[in-house]
Amino acid sequence: MILLQLCVDGLLLGAVYALFSSGLTLIWGMMNVVNFAHGDFVMVAMYVAFFAFTLLKIGPILFVPLTAAALFGLGVLVYYALVRHVMRGPMLAQIISTFGLALFLRYTALWAFSANFVSLPDSLVGGVYDLHGLRLSASHLLAGATALVLTLGLHLLLTRTDLGSRMLAVSEDRVAAALVGIRPDPMQALAWGIGAASTGVAGALIALFFYISPEVGNAFTLLAFVTVCLGGFGSVPGALLAGLAIGVIESLSAYWLGPATKDVAVFGLFVVLLWVRPQGLLGRA
Amino acid sequence: MLLEATGIVKTFGSFHAVDGADLALQENELIGLIGPNGAGKSTFFNCLAGDTLPTAGTIRFRGADITTTPPHDRARLGLARTFQVPIVFEGMTVRENVMVGAFLRRPHRHAAADKADEVLAFTGLADHADQQVTSLGTPGRKRLEIARALATEPTVLLLDEALAGLPTAEVDLAIELVRRIHATGVTLIVVEHIMEVIHRLTQRVIVFHQGRVLAQGSPAEVTADPAVIQAYLGRHAGRRRA
Amino acid sequence: MKALPRTLLLVLLAVLIVAPCLSDNPFYQRIAALTALAAISASAWNLIGGYGGQVSFGHSVYFGTGAYAALLAFDKLGLPPIAGAPLGMLASLVLSMLIGLPSFRLRGHYFSMATIAIAALAEGLVTNWNFAGGAIGLMGPASPRTVADLLFRSALPYYVLFVFVLAVLLALTYLMQRGRMGFYLRALGSGERAAESLGVPIRRYKLYALLLSGAFTSLAGSLYAVMIGFIDPDSGFGILVSVNMVVMSALGGAGTLFGPMLGALILVPLAETTNVVLGGGGTGAAYVAYGIIIMLLARFSPGGLAQWWAPLTGKGPRRAA
Repeated sequence: MILLQLCVDGLLLGAVYALFSSGLTLIWGMMNVVNFAHGDFVMVAMYVAFFAFTLLKIGPILFVPLTAAALFGLGVLVYYALVRHVMRGPMLAQIISTFGLALFLRYTALWAFSANFVSLPDSLVGGVYDLHGLRLSASHLLAGATALVLTLGLHLLLTRTDLGSRMLAVSEDRVAAALVGIRPDPMQALAWGIGAASTGVAGALIALFFYISPEVGNAFTLLAFVTVCLGGFGSVPGALLAGLAIGVIESLSAYWLGPATKDVAVFGLFVVLLWVRPQGLLGRA
Repeated sequence: MLLEATGIVKTFGSFHAVDGADLALQENELIGLIGPNGAGKSTFFNCLAGDTLPTAGTIRFRGADITTTPPHDRARLGLARTFQVPIVFEGMTVRENVMVGAFLRRPHRHAAADKADEVLAFTGLADHADQQVTSLGTPGRKRLEIARALATEPTVLLLDEALAGLPTAEVDLAIELVRRIHATGVTLIVVEHIMEVIHRLTQRVIVFHQGRVLAQGSPAEVTADPAVIQAYLGRHAGRRRA
Repeated sequence: MKALPRTLLLVLLAVLIVAPCLSDNPFYQRIAALTALAAISASAWNLIGGYGGQVSFGHSVYFGTGAYAALLAFDKLGLPPIAGAPLGMLASLVLSMLIGLPSFRLRGHYFSMATIAIAALAEGLVTNWNFAGGAIGLMGPASPRTVADLLFRSALPYYVLFVFVLAVLLALTYLMQRGRMGFYLRALGSGERAAESLGVPIRRYKLYALLLSGAFTSLAGSLYAVMIGFIDPDSGFGILVSVNMVVMSALGGAGTLFGPMLGALILVPLAETTNVVLGGGGTGAAYVAYGIIIMLLARFSPGGLAQWWAPLTGKGPRRAA
């Protein structure tokens, strides 16, 4: 029974991981740039949601899309102000650029909010359901379900719409796409926007039941990396399945190894993945 | 027999880029490798250079099996290559770029620098020796590719479209350079698109088509071959000829 | 004409090196010592990250190993902490092999990601390793038992020691980059496929650079532990340890001889002064600045400050023949 509980908890959280990871895989697949600040985007989103609620008294139904929009803007801004230029430059610049962004976001937050954490009231999306002995909290359910729907939605956007095909064309071959009249810049900016928006929604959802602190970015970034590696770079369905898997793995390790060591389990898995599947992982390298 | 490739096959999934190709290269030959786009010559070239591992077949260098030998060891054995799109080592001067090649046989800095200067003079880049490599335009970079490869003192030199995209005057200079390299005893395989270059430069030509060797012979023989014409120009070309 | 700025710079350098010895102010002396120490780590990172072009965010693994080796030598064996330094370097050599061999199969971003994950893994493991003090960490000798404990009341002796080690490292770096190894490293850092075709054994040279880099980073860690007298998972293995090395090298100019030192010269006094001025929240502010600096560098001047000074002095220290 405990096993089932752990798995369900893991799946629900995993869906949220899948959501923000699919944002990362989209960016990654599009332009072979790793967003080292991805987890910190989630952190920013959590704070945006928090302040939307505490300062502006906006409820979750509104603050989730609000946060998504805010992060969308951030993603587009980052693309135009920073990423677009460094992509044409040396590798060192490409690698450190988003890393610098991560530092900036993290330490600005630390400076502004100090290392103490805040949280949204439990009653916001309250209630616990009992399904034959299985404990399901409403906030987790909401988060998991929303994340699942949106991730699938993103997949459909990419594969079934005209816009999606244009984005995929740019990610396949930027030059060829330009030759057929698809301007790469707006498509890539859009990818950043959507990728960031995914962290926006994910962050707002996580804020419903998780503590909010400037430090969470690091762990989320690594989680996103593992998920994307496991699921395959550029693949949203892959990110979905991998996210769910990682959620379950994390849940089980927290139980068996203790909460302090669960991170170790995930990072360890990541290291093993990078060793064992370099051929599969390096698809676009 | 200097370099020998037998039964080379390279598949990418179900696609057969190279489908059973052979090559026999004797000492000091200068042969050309041509074929329409997608014919598999680049893949075959990369198998010879060590960049790509053939799915089947063997490659022998002076009788020794080098099929799975990595590129850096092939260079050591005497097999050098240039890249179609020149790769320059940014942040270094022209001379320093060539020295990277020279260090293969000359572990000490001064000897490597001397060799580099020698090669730079031979390839006509001596005036640019101290310039940052990024100041070179495409013709200069293509020449640098050749100079760097020469600095490794190769027995066989594989040139990958070293003349493609050069203005006419440069093409003449390049042909002259290749001839001079050949005259020093180096064996050469030249991949090219430009038929004029093939005619002027090579003794023997291998024509690739759909992953296989379609024809072999002197440039004149090969260009008159109806099968070759058809491969390049399509089914109707044969009929259009007078 | 070009020789003039060169000698001027050397004179400036000499003055800079001697200056802290003439000052009486313990604050300046401490900053000088910390700057020299940071210059050692950054210059060590530079070997693989700058010259070799493999951007590692995981050098904290070596730094932490060196620091812990020193304090474990004291804590468990009663040895002077500095005696742990060679052990730390040895351990780092082994770690470099274990980490380098598999991770060098990865390139660019993937390599960097792998190094972050490994560093996070290491920090997590050390935090849970009670033998090494767990989350609390280890302390060095409270009072000096012999001179070998290197417990000085003033920062000046540390400064002198660090400058000496830095000089050795820079001399080694200079010799390396003049010779075949330097050329091969720079080549594989900027054009791996081409380098390989010219006979450069890529993985072997990356490994050489990493071995050297890891060993000196480890030494820096040991020296840090000797001076500060305390280490914990965060100060030894935390991501910021790696960040410092990367920012300083990038700022001064990664892949140049004096770049990392220049970066340290600018950032350490800046960070320490901000710390004092802003009090407890100071550390955070320094990293906000680091983040901004990195983004500006990446966007406008990836070659760091060296990009600006090289035209002034000819080609800087990497002249051939």
